[in-house]
Amino acid sequence: METPLIPPGVKRCPTWQFALWMAAVGAVLLWGVYAMILVWWKGLNQTNMNDAYGFALWIWADLAVIALGGGAFFTGFLTYIIGKDKLKGIINYAVIIGFICYSSALLILAIDIGQPLRGWFIFWHANVHSMLTEVAFCLSCYFGVLTIEFIPLILENPRLAAKPFLHHLSHNMHEIMAVFAATGVFLSFFHQGSLGGVAGVLFGRPFAYREGIFIWPWTFFLFTWSAAACGPCFTILVTWITEKITGKKLVQQDVIGLLAKIAGWMLITYIIAKSIDTLYWALVTAPGMGFTLMDFYTDHPIYNIGILFAEIVLCGFLPALILITRRGRENGFLLILSVLLAVLGCSINRWVMVLQVMAVPVFSFESWFLYSPSWQEVATTILPVAYGVILISLAHRYLPVFPQEKELNPAN
Amino acid sequence: MKIDRRKFLAGFSACVGGGAVGSMLSPLPWKVMDDVAIWTQNWPWTPVPQDGRYSYVQSVCALCPGGCGISVRKVKSRAVKIEGLKDHPAGNGGLCPLGLSGLQYLYGPARVKSPLKRVGKRGEGKWQPISWDAAISEVSQKLNELRARNKPHSLAWISGENKGILAGLIDRFLKVYGSPNVLRDSTAHDAIDQAAYHTQGQRGTVFWDIENADFILSFGAGLMDGGWPLARMNGFPKSADGGKTLIQVEARLSDTAAKADLWVAANPGTEGVLALGIAHVMIRELIYNIDFINRQASGFEDGVMGGDQVLQGFKSMVLEKYKPEKVSGITGVPVDAIFDIARRFAKSDKAVAVCGRGHGRVAGCMDEALAVHYLNALKGNIHQPGGVFVVADPDYVRFPEPGMDKIAEYGLGQTRVDGAQSEKFPNSRYLLHRLPEIINTADGDSPVQALLVSGANPLYTIPDGKSVKKSFDKIPFIASFSPFMDETAVYSDVILPDHTYLECYRDIVSQGSMDGIVVSLAKPVVRPLYNTSHLGDVIIQIAKALGGYIETAFAWKSYESLLEETFADNWETITSSGYIRMNPQIPGTVATSFNTPSKKFEFNINAGAPEAPFSSAFEKIAMEGDAQNYPLTLIPYDSIRLAGNYPANPPFMTKIIDDTVLKKTHGCIEINPATAKQLRLSEGDAVKLSTPRGEADVQIHLYEGVMPGVIALPRGLGHTAYSEEWGLYGKGVNVNDLMGPIEDPVSGFNMAWGIRAKLTKI
Amino acid sequence: MKESATHETARRYGMVIDLDKCTGCGACMVSCYAENNVPFKKDESNKLDSINWIRVVKMTNQKPYPDTQICYLPMPCMQCDGVGKHGHSPCVSVCPAVATDYDFTTGIVSQIYTRCFGCRYCMAACPYHARKFNWWDPVWPADMEKYLSPNVSPRMRGVVEKCSFCFHRYQLARDKAYQEERAELEENEYQPACVEACPVKAMTFGDLNNPAHAVYELKNHKHAFRLLERLETNPKVYYISSKEWVRRNGDNYLPDEAPGRLKSKAKARH
Ligand SMILES: Nc1nc2c(c(=O)[nH]1)N[C@H]1C(S)=C(S)[C@@H](COP(=O)(O)OP(=O)(O)OC[C@H]3O[C@@H](n4cnc5c(=O)[nH]c(N)nc54)[C@H](O)[C@@H]3O)O[C@H]1N2
Ligand SMILES: Nc1nc2c(c(=O)[nH]1)N[C@H]1C(S)=C(S)[C@@H](COP(=O)(O)OP(=O)(O)OC[C@H]3O[C@@H](n4cnc5c(=O)[nH]c(N)nc54)[C@H](O)[C@@H]3O)O[C@H]1N2
Ligand code: SF4
Ligand code: SF4
Ligand code: SF4
Ligand code: SF4
Ligand code: SF4
Ligand SMILES: [Mo]
Repeated sequence: METPLIPPGVKRCPTWQFALWMAAVGAVLLWGVYAMILVWWKGLNQTNMNDAYGFALWIWADLAVIALGGGAFFTGFLTYIIGKDKLKGIINYAVIIGFICYSSALLILAIDIGQPLRGWFIFWHANVHSMLTEVAFCLSCYFGVLTIEFIPLILENPRLAAKPFLHHLSHNMHEIMAVFAATGVFLSFFHQGSLGGVAGVLFGRPFAYREGIFIWPWTFFLFTWSAAACGPCFTILVTWITEKITGKKLVQQDVIGLLAKIAGWMLITYIIAKSIDTLYWALVTAPGMGFTLMDFYTDHPIYNIGILFAEIVLCGFLPALILITRRGRENGFLLILSVLLAVLGCSINRWVMVLQVMAVPVFSFESWFLYSPSWQEVATTILPVAYGVILISLAHRYLPVFPQEKELNPAN
Repeated sequence: MKIDRRKFLAGFSACVGGGAVGSMLSPLPWKVMDDVAIWTQNWPWTPVPQDGRYSYVQSVCALCPGGCGISVRKVKSRAVKIEGLKDHPAGNGGLCPLGLSGLQYLYGPARVKSPLKRVGKRGEGKWQPISWDAAISEVSQKLNELRARNKPHSLAWISGENKGILAGLIDRFLKVYGSPNVLRDSTAHDAIDQAAYHTQGQRGTVFWDIENADFILSFGAGLMDGGWPLARMNGFPKSADGGKTLIQVEARLSDTAAKADLWVAANPGTEGVLALGIAHVMIRELIYNIDFINRQASGFEDGVMGGDQVLQGFKSMVLEKYKPEKVSGITGVPVDAIFDIARRFAKSDKAVAVCGRGHGRVAGCMDEALAVHYLNALKGNIHQPGGVFVVADPDYVRFPEPGMDKIAEYGLGQTRVDGAQSEKFPNSRYLLHRLPEIINTADGDSPVQALLVSGANPLYTIPDGKSVKKSFDKIPFIASFSPFMDETAVYSDVILPDHTYLECYRDIVSQGSMDGIVVSLAKPVVRPLYNTSHLGDVIIQIAKALGGYIETAFAWKSYESLLEETFADNWETITSSGYIRMNPQIPGTVATSFNTPSKKFEFNINAGAPEAPFSSAFEKIAMEGDAQNYPLTLIPYDSIRLAGNYPANPPFMTKIIDDTVLKKTHGCIEINPATAKQLRLSEGDAVKLSTPRGEADVQIHLYEGVMPGVIALPRGLGHTAYSEEWGLYGKGVNVNDLMGPIEDPVSGFNMAWGIRAKLTKI
Repeated sequence: MKESATHETARRYGMVIDLDKCTGCGACMVSCYAENNVPFKKDESNKLDSINWIRVVKMTNQKPYPDTQICYLPMPCMQCDGVGKHGHSPCVSVCPAVATDYDFTTGIVSQIYTRCFGCRYCMAACPYHARKFNWWDPVWPADMEKYLSPNVSPRMRGVVEKCSFCFHRYQLARDKAYQEERAELEENEYQPACVEACPVKAMTFGDLNNPAHAVYELKNHKHAFRLLERLETNPKVYYISSKEWVRRNGDNYLPDEAPGRLKSKAKARH
C-alpha cells in the first residue's frame, strides 16, 4: 500500500473540499500573478506611484510582513536559545509563517524595482553605507535560513519520510537546527533593524529622521523590538484563525499563553521606548529642523494626529497592558483582540514610516502628497496573502505542523 | 524495466534538479545574468545618439519677431541643440523657451512632409501627396480662373510675414495679380504706431527705448511674459545689483507684475483712464516737461477757432475730466497712489510709459494708446534716449515698379475686403478680425473666392472661432503654405509646405535698439528634411505659371538669388556677421521730424474737433455682454510658457506649463478665492464657462493674484490640430473662441480686452 | 562614496540664483531638456511623473489681492555635500548599488543610469524632489530622435535620473584644458546649459572654493540662503532674495524663529 500523503492520526477535509478552497484562493493568486506580470512587462507605470511617492503600498506590505514574520526569529530565539521548550508546540508554524512572509517580501522587492533584471547589482555593487544593502543581504540570508528551517518539516511528510535518505536528512537537520536558529536570530535582529534604519537615516525627511548611535538611528532598534513584540502576536493570530477555519484546537493554550505573555512584555517595553523616541523627536529633533509636531499631521482622514494615538495608545499600550496581565491573556476574546491590535499597531507603524514619510511636505510651500494605489498594486499586494494561504493550507494538510494536534483532537 | 508515470516523473525531476544544481555550479547562469543586465542597458528601443564631428551654425530665431541670434550645435548632419548667440544684438546669448525648443518644430510630428491635396471633406484630414508641379498648378489654375472672371480682388492673402523680402514678394504678388487684399494681424503696436501718427505725423514703428530708460510705467505690457523678447530686457528685473524701476498696471498679477517694483491693480479696461489721471496730476503740479510742451506741442492750451468758439486744449480737458478722485473711482486705484505714480514718473531721469496688453496680440483702443503716448509727451521724452522714437520701417527691400495689366488695375481699384485703408479707417493698414463678419453677412458669393495663408493660423487666432469657421466654409478655395499641420492648414484645400526657418535662408527684421533696426539672416542649419519648398520660390513659381505681367514681375531665378541681390553690398556683412543694422536713431531730432500741420506734437483731442482721434468722453474700454446674465469678467492672459499664436507650443514648452494652467486635458481658469467662495466653487471643480460668444468646460484654479470678479484664461491652448504626439491636441480652451471682436470707432482695430462671462458648476 | 585619497575637495561647483531677477520664464528647464535628452510625454500635466532636472516652482506669499506676490524658484539638483561636507549627501548615502556617487574633485553628485536598478530609495531620501524616475520608456516621435545629443545617453525605463550640473560639459572643458596642458579651467569654460540659457542672467555658476569665481562672493551676499539648510544637506545651490517671505519659504521655521536670526549648525559651517 502507498504511504499516505496526509500525516497519520490527523483528520483532514475531503479532497473535493480542499480542491475547492484551493481553487478559490488560487483565483486570487492568479489575479495577483497577472498584475505582477503586467508590472514586469510594462513597468512601474502600472502603479500609481510617482516621483514624490517612490515608496508605496507594497513597500508598506513588505515592511509589515517582515515585521510580522518576525514571529519566526523571535520564537526561534526563545525556543532554541533561551530554551523555552514549551514553544516547540508552535515553532513549526512560526517558521512557516516566517517563510511565507520573507519569501513574499523578496517577491515584492523583485516587483518593486524598476530594473528587476539588474536586481543583483545590490549585491555585486554593494554600497556598505546603505541601509538597503544591509536589508538585502540579511533578508536574503535569513530567507535561506528559514528555508533550511522549513525543509526538515517538509521532509516529515509521511511519503517523503518513507525515503530513508530524506528521513535521515531531516533528522540530522533537526539536530543542528539550533545553529540555524541562532544564525537566523542574528540576521533577523540586523535586518529588522536595517529596515528601521531605511527610514530613520533619511535626514532629508524630518518626519522619518531619527538620531541614534553610530550609524544606527533609534528606529533601527525600535523596528527589531517591535518585530519581536508583534511577530509572535501575528503567529498567535494566524494560529487562532487556522484553528477557527479548521474547527480544531491545534496548539495548547499554555503555549499560546506563554508566547502572548512574552510578546506582551516585549510590547510594553517597546511602546515605552517608542513613546520616549516620539517625545524626543517631537520636542528636540523636529524643532531643530524647524518643525512642530503638528506640521506632520493634517486634517486628512488618515494623516491626522489620530494615527499617532492609534499607533501608540490604542494599538500599543492597550494590547500590551492586556497581554501582560494574566486575566487579560486568559480571556480568549481579549487575547485575540490584543494580538490583533498589536498586529495593527505594528502595521500602522510601518505604514507611517513608509507612506506618511512620503506624504508629509518638507517645504513650507508644498502641500501634502497623497496617493492611492492602482489595482495592479493592490493585486500584487494581495498576491502574497493568497500565496500564504495556499502554503499554509498545503502545509497544514500534508505536514505535521502542529505536534500537539493529535493529542488535542483525540477523537479521530 | 517498466517506466510508469511515477517513475518517469521521479526520473524527470531528478534530471531537472540535477541539471539545475549542476548548471548553478557552471559559469552559465552567471554569464546569462550579466548578459541580461547588459541587455537592459542597451534595449534596442532606447535610442543611442550617434556621435560624430561637432559644428556650430550661427543663425537667427524666426519664431517670434524678436529675431534673437542663435547658435545651433550639430553632430554631423543632425542639429542637436539651439543655443543663444553671444554678441548678437538681439538676445546676446539668452533665448526664450520657445526659441530653445526650435528643433522640435524641425523634427517634430506636425511637419507637412510634401505638398498635399485634400481628398476628404474640408477639415477631415484626408490628404493625398502630390507633386510640387501639381500643387502649383492647383493654385495657379484657381487664380487664373478668378482673373478670367474679372474678380482678381476676390483673392486674399493672410500673411504673417510682416517685414522683409517675403513680405515684399507677397505685396508685389497681390499687386500685379490685382488684389488689394493683403491681410495681416494687427497688434498693439498698430494702435501705438497710429497714435504716433496722429500726434507726430510720422509713419513707422514706435520704439520705446527701454534699454536706456531707468523708469518704465507699463500699462499692462507683458514685458516679462514673453510679450517682448526676454533676452532683451537688459537691467530687468531689478535685483540686488540694481536695475530699472518698473511699475506695472494690470488687473492680474502676471509675471511682469510680479517682477515690478509696484503692481497697480487697476480695473481692467481702465488703464488708459489711469494714464489720464496721472497726466492730471503732472499738469496740476506743474511737474510735466514744460519746456517741451511750450515749445514743441500744440493743442495743450485752449485755443480759439474762428469766431468766439473756444477749442478746448488737452490741459483743461484733463484738469476738468480726469480728476484723481474720479479716476480713482473708475480705476479702483487709490487717489494717493495716482499722485505717487505721477510724481515718481515725472521725477525720474529717463522715464517711459508703455502699453499693449500682454503680448500685445490685440491691437486695442486708440484712446488708451493715445493717453499713454500723451504721458510720454508730458514727460517730454519724445525722441530722447530712454524715451519714445518713431522708427521708419527698413527700406532695403526695393523692387522695380512692375508693369500691370487691365485686370490687375481694375482689381487694385476695388476697396479692400476688410475695410482697412478706407474712408472710415484711413490709417489702419489691416483689419483682419473684420473678415469673418464681412464674409458671413455678404449677399451672394463670398467676397473672398480664394484665400492664401502663410506664416499665420487665422482659424486659431481670429476671435470668435465659430464665425471664422463659418466664413471659411464660404471661401471656395483655401491654400496654406504652412510647414506645420496647424488648424488652418487642416482646413485648406491644398498645402504647399514651406521650409522651416532652420532649413533655408530668410531675412528677419527685428527692432534692435537706438543703434538701429537689426536685420538678421536665417541660414539653412540643416538641409530640408522633407519635400518642402521655400515660400519665396513658390511665389516665383506660381507667378511663372500665371504668365504675363505677373511672370515678368517675378523674373528672379530663385529666392536665394533675390536675397543676394537685395543685400547687394551688405551681402558680405550679413553672411559673415549674421546681421546688419539700419536706421539708427539720432536723439533730439524732434523739431525736424514732426510731420503734423503744426510741425509740433499735437494733442489731438475731440473736445471741439469731431475728427480728432481722442475722445474726451473716454472712461472705460467697452466690453461685450450684459452684467445681468454674465456677472463675471473674462480676460485672456499671455504667458511666456505658451506660444499663443503661430506656431503652437512645442512639447518642451507644453512640458513647462504649470499644472494650475493645464491639468490633463482641462484648461484651468483663474478665479479669486473670494469670488469662488461666493459662487461656491473650490479648487479643481469642473465648471462650464459661458460668454455671449460660446462656452467651454474648464477647471477652477484659485489664484489670489486675479482681481475679484475677474476670471482669466491663458492664450495658446485649445488647439485642435498639429499632431496628437505633439502633446497639445485637444487640451484646454482657445480663449479666442469665447470672445468676439469689438471695433474701435477711430481705427477699426479690435479692442476687446475681455468679455462678460459666467461660471456654472457641472 | 569612494573618498579621495587626499580627502580634500579640489573644486566645489555651485550655483547662485538671484530670485529677484528670475522671471519664471522656464528657459532653464527647456535648455536642460534639450541639452540632456530629457524625454517628453503626451501629457506632462502630472508634475509628479514629469521628468525635469530643473523645476521652476511658483511660490506665492498667500496674501489676498492685491497684496499677493509671486516668486519663482528654479530648483536643479542641489548637489548636496551632506552632513559635514563629506559627500554624505542624502541620496548618495542611501543608494545600495553606488549608482549615484559624490565626486570629490568637483563636488558633483553623479547618476549612473546603467547601474541604477530602480529601487527609488534615493528619491525618498532627497527632500528637494530633484530625482526623477523613468516610469515609461522614453519615446521621440517622428524624426525627433535626430535631435538627441550624443553627449548624454538617453535613459531607459526603470531608472532614476537627475541634474548632473551638465557634467559632460565639465568633461569636455577639462579634456580641452588637458590637451592644452592647463590644470585649471577658466570660469567661463564650464557653464551648465540652464545657466547659459537664462535670458535675464539670474543664475551664476562656478567654483564656490575659488575666490576668482563670481559665486565665491555671491554666496556670502547678505540675502543669500540655501533651501532646507537646517537639514544639514549642505546644498551647493544658493539663492538670493530681498524678500523676507521668500527666504522664509526656503526653510522651515518655528513661529518664533526667523531666517537670518537663526544660528543653526549648518549655517555656521557654510
Ligand atoms: N503687417 C503685419 N503686421 C503684423 C504682423 C504681421 O505679420 N504683419 N504680425 C503681428 C505680429 S504677430 C507681431 S508679433 C507684430 C510684430 O510687430 P511688433 O510687435 O511691432 O514687433 P517689433 O517690430 O519687434 O516691435 C515691437 C515694439 O516693441 C518695442 N520693442 C521691441 N523690442 C524692444 C527693445 O528691445 N527695446 C525697446 N525699447 N523697445 C522694444 C518697440 O517699440 C517696437 O516697436 O506685428 C503684428 N502686426
Ligand atoms: N517668448 C516669446 N514669445 C512670443 C513673443 C516674444 O516676444 N517672446 N512675442 C509674442 C508676440 S508679440 C507675438 S505677436 C507672437 C508672434 O508670434 P508669431 O505669430 O509666431 O509671429 P509671426 O509674426 O508670425 O512671426 C513668425 C515669422 O516667422 C516666420 N516663420 C517662422 N518659422 C517659419 C516656418 O517654418 N515657415 C515659415 N513659412 N515661416 C516661418 C513666419 O513667416 C513669420 O513671419 O509671438 C509671441 N510670442
Ligand atoms: S524671443 Fe522670439 S526670437 Fe527670441 S528666442 Fe524667443 S521666439 Fe525666438
Ligand atoms: S538635491 Fe537630492 S539628488 Fe541632489 S544631491 Fe541633494 S539629495 Fe541628492
Ligand atoms: S533608484 Fe537607482 S540610484 Fe536610486 S538608490 Fe536605487 S539604485 Fe541607487
Ligand atoms: S545644470 Fe545642466 S543638468 Fe542641471 S539643471 Fe542645469 S542644464 Fe540641467
Ligand atoms: S531661465 Fe532664468 S529667468 Fe527663466 S526661469 Fe530660469 S532662472 Fe528664471
Ligand atoms: Mo505681436
